[in-house]
Amino acid sequence: MDFKLTEEQEFFRKTIKETVDRMIVPKAREIDEKDEFPWDLWREFAKLGYLGLRYPVEIGGMNADKIMCMIFYEEITRGSVGFAQSVIMNILMGTYFIYRFGSESIKERCLYPAMRGEKIATICFTEDQSGSDLAATRTRVTKDGNGWRINGTKMWITNGPICDFCTVLATVDPSLGLKGLNFFLVEKGTPGFSSGQILHKLGCRGTVTGELIFDNVWVPDENFLGEELGKGVQYVGEILDEVRLMTGAMALGLARAAYEEGLEFARKRVAFGQPIGKFQLIREKFAEMDALMNAARLLVYYGAWLLENGKDARVIAAEAKMFATEVCLKVVDEVTRIYGANAFAYEYNPQRYFRDARFLLYGGGTHEVLKDFIGRSIIGKL
Amino acid sequence: MKILTFVKQILDSEAKISLKEDKRSLNFEERFSLNFFDEFAIEEAVRIKEKISNCEVVAISLGSKKAQEVLRTAIAMGADKAVLIETERYEILDPSYTAKVLSAFAQREGFHMIICGERAMDDENGVTGALVGGYLKIPYVGSVVRLEIEGEGKAVAESEINGSFCLYEVTLPAVFSVRKGINEPRVPSVTGVMKAMKMKIPVLEVSSLSPPTSKTQIESYDFPEKRPQVKIIEGATPEEKVKKLITLLREEAKVI
Repeated sequence: MDFKLTEEQEFFRKTIKETVDRMIVPKAREIDEKDEFPWDLWREFAKLGYLGLRYPVEIGGMNADKIMCMIFYEEITRGSVGFAQSVIMNILMGTYFIYRFGSESIKERCLYPAMRGEKIATICFTEDQSGSDLAATRTRVTKDGNGWRINGTKMWITNGPICDFCTVLATVDPSLGLKGLNFFLVEKGTPGFSSGQILHKLGCRGTVTGELIFDNVWVPDENFLGEELGKGVQYVGEILDEVRLMTGAMALGLARAAYEEGLEFARKRVAFGQPIGKFQLIREKFAEMDALMNAARLLVYYGAWLLENGKDARVIAAEAKMFATEVCLKVVDEVTRIYGANAFAYEYNPQRYFRDARFLLYGGGTHEVLKDFIGRSIIGKL
Repeated sequence: MKILTFVKQILDSEAKISLKEDKRSLNFEERFSLNFFDEFAIEEAVRIKEKISNCEVVAISLGSKKAQEVLRTAIAMGADKAVLIETERYEILDPSYTAKVLSAFAQREGFHMIICGERAMDDENGVTGALVGGYLKIPYVGSVVRLEIEGEGKAVAESEINGSFCLYEVTLPAVFSVRKGINEPRVPSVTGVMKAMKMKIPVLEVSSLSPPTSKTQIESYDFPEKRPQVKIIEGATPEEKVKKLITLLREEAKVI
């Protein structure tokens, strides 16, 4: 067994940590308060090249292994959940199916500019009546000449209102359930494609999230992203484990941001004539938080190791997402208690961490859905 | 043009440090960082490289194997090569020892300019650059806040001394120690990071550079004296507080 990062991975962690400390941490509060997409920071960050993190070097990417990807997701989220969410959307879900199935001309138009940060990408799964329950997708796609016609409305779309292109999940026939689902590329400017309501969120602010409307949108055959019809859900399976582990890594990053701030506070804040870190009940909080965070880290990085080595990571990825997010919720809660009433004021960061942590509950599967999946996988068919 | 830049790995300011029983050495948490001032030196060397053609930047560090990390940072920022001169120990080295070793390396490697940070944040000696200039018998300019290459074999350096500025025209080869404000060190790009991750950094044994015997050695470390507890003077009015303060200064502190 070897739990050590390689020298390269260690160097990568240090470098991305310092980059986040310099570029993102100082702007995190402003991003949250304004709740507007931070265009300047986006352009500045994109210039560094991290948006091609997981794609091959030959097309301008970094070809990072799964461990490095987790390091990146963790560190950038430690800086700002809102900014991280937009960045990760471009890096992973927003571009994956285009990388996997897109023609060269589509890649030229969408993937490569997204890797350079010149275009904003997103993916559209959720609708007002379907989230985890993909079989309930109602956005409809029908064959029309040498292309496809899409009708429906997507909700809760990260980067949606500002996206330049999106990968849309649509069904050829709702009665087919999961077997009717397919992915299509829709680009900004396509007639009938528009942005609707923008959601005002409790946390993860700075990422623009909202509704996307597909009103009789026609796209050419080239925009069908897949090898054959009806395999959309199978294709989701290709990145689902990484998405879940990524959410776990984000939870770790946010937990660390809160924990480190709580630690500094406990060392400096004096009450009853001594730093509060000398009180046993405060020490207990750090003992519990540290143990939980270490356990969550092992689970997330073990899952990444499984993925990297081509092993089955389905259960571990689901457990990692669920456990790390619950740990994050516990840590941000404890830090608000350590901060006392100050945590209730917008002038201090713990309230932001507290709000942001809730966001991680939903993406990659609610914990109710994940528990059911894990339980089923363990018990097996009866 | 060949520019050497000296970089040092120091203990991170947040690393936990304690004294060993002999009080001559330290127990420390393995948290290191690149010396703050050396970032400016690397950045300046890389900026010069970007302005002129046929220029190579070589980063050198005297330190333990772990110091490869700071050399990788230099590569990520744009240095072309890096060399580690390995010494087994991490401790504050005598600056004349460091300067002798670095001078020997510079002489062997060849160079037109040496750029280093004005001081290291751990020992705060701030003399290595000047000593290297002395050992190599070449010009040295310290506290540099602006550095330009002017034609063949010449540089113009502006130094900041006590709030005023001094302009030097310097014949190369020369040594420059730079201070905060000379530039804004860049955030490494992915291309740089990837290059740094893959680069195999050559390691030289310090013994191959005929190191001298240290002229100084650490006798002991000690913590600063604990400051007495702060006393807050209570009182209903400022006048009352001042009266109490005067009494305390007279009777307790016995300073008036």
